[in-house]
Amino acid sequence: MNVLRAWIEERLGLRAVAAFLEKKEVPRHKHTIFYYTGSSILLFLGIQIVTGVLLAFYYQPTLAEANASVARIVTEMPLGWLLRSVHSWSATFMIAIVFVHLLGIAFTKAYRKPREATWITGVLLLAASLAFGFTGYLLPWDELSLAATKVGTNLPKAIPVVGAWLTGVMRAGEDVTGDTLSRFFIFHVSVLPLAVIALLGVHLFLVQRHGMSVPLEEERKGAKGPVIPFWPNFAYREAGVWLILLGLLVTIAVFAAPGLGPQADLMAPAPEGIKPEWYFLFLFQTLKLFPARILGLNGEIVAVLIMMAGMGLFAFLPFIDNRPAERKGKVIAGLVWAGLAYAMGMSIWSLL
Amino acid sequence: MKLLYSLFSRRAFLNSLIGGWLAALGAAFISPLLKYIVPPTREPDQVSVPLAEVQDLAAGSVQGFAWGNKPGLLKKAEDGSFIAFVGVCTHLDCNVSFVAEKRRFYCACHEGWYDENGINVAGPPPAPLRRLAVSVEGDALIVKKQG
Ligand code: FES
Repeated sequence: MNVLRAWIEERLGLRAVAAFLEKKEVPRHKHTIFYYTGSSILLFLGIQIVTGVLLAFYYQPTLAEANASVARIVTEMPLGWLLRSVHSWSATFMIAIVFVHLLGIAFTKAYRKPREATWITGVLLLAASLAFGFTGYLLPWDELSLAATKVGTNLPKAIPVVGAWLTGVMRAGEDVTGDTLSRFFIFHVSVLPLAVIALLGVHLFLVQRHGMSVPLEEERKGAKGPVIPFWPNFAYREAGVWLILLGLLVTIAVFAAPGLGPQADLMAPAPEGIKPEWYFLFLFQTLKLFPARILGLNGEIVAVLIMMAGMGLFAFLPFIDNRPAERKGKVIAGLVWAGLAYAMGMSIWSLL
Repeated sequence: MKLLYSLFSRRAFLNSLIGGWLAALGAAFISPLLKYIVPPTREPDQVSVPLAEVQDLAAGSVQGFAWGNKPGLLKKAEDGSFIAFVGVCTHLDCNVSFVAEKRRFYCACHEGWYDENGINVAGPPPAPLRRLAVSVEGDALIVKKQG
């Protein structure tokens, strides 16, 4: 055994990693709970990869077969219904925790110097997660997913200069067709996973390099506060959180399996009550409320530009909020709260 | 006049030369790829609908036909002539339907309404439904792009 260990050590030099983990500490304060969100996201990402690969064994991304193959997975394949349900719910869980992770970081201002790059890779990972959700939504190819995809892929058209081209890239042409389905599939199972792996690598590396950030108020107290050793104390707690989440996920997946609508028909009128996934609801509601024309401009273009500006500001938050401890920082925190309230309010409204 | 020192070191010169080459090479590789990823659109020049299919249509009602891979809507006017629309909402591209009782076109996505002439009257749609030109040739209706 020891010989084997020495042999491996000589080739991989894992001692350095182990030493790092032994030294790693997790600060303990009233926001410590946010430190658990990162690893929970990883848990759900892992579940997505495994269940996604299994679903892809039987799924066929073509106009004729997509809807039928999903129906086959859930009706004929052993436990196929559960697999699809877990994949769908795990996506919801993952995105929900991604938002909590993000808000925790935004409100404790963990993005401040020197962690700007970590924040930006995080925002890109958020974008990738949403893109996963958006592309995955179309794959069952039912009426609702077709209508939602038409609307979603039409939005970039409002962007000046590159908009029309971008819509063309997403749809594989002017319209949503079978080519769009193949394209969404390949993005969902290949392009986005590769992007996420690359971004996640950088993100995790940066997190380790900088160590855990401590909220401003704790930092101001001066002396280093209490800590929990990462190994094994914190890791074991994380394992407990994982178990709870896993139990929740499987329970919900068993009792609330997602349905499958009738096969999408490119010629049929849009069905009543189209709704995107819950994390796009606030955008959906905003679009519905925007009038056709605002001050002589096309309302949709105005809405999309405002949203883009909001997202852009958010992505560069660390650079805008460069004096987090001062008045400016407080104002920005207020704006983030306002944004959150807006998104929640709009989402709830759209459900009424 | 002889310069005392050169403005560029040999290394900086070579670096920018090779960097420039690589950038040009990259662009030369990427531009065809960018072309490839958006296929040409296949909007039809014209579509013919056999008259027999629409003859019994009551005045004021609407029938669908395939305009390429989009739905087309054919409406019989009171005087028996036909007008045609692309049945796609001008807001965000959902397919619209004709609500006979209200004599209006309806888009379910964000509750957009068009009157029976395809003019946007309520909800978010910013423009009328796109009109197509209809003519009768022999025993078929020929629907063409307008203008
Ligand atoms: S797509 Fe028709 S109203 Fe929005």
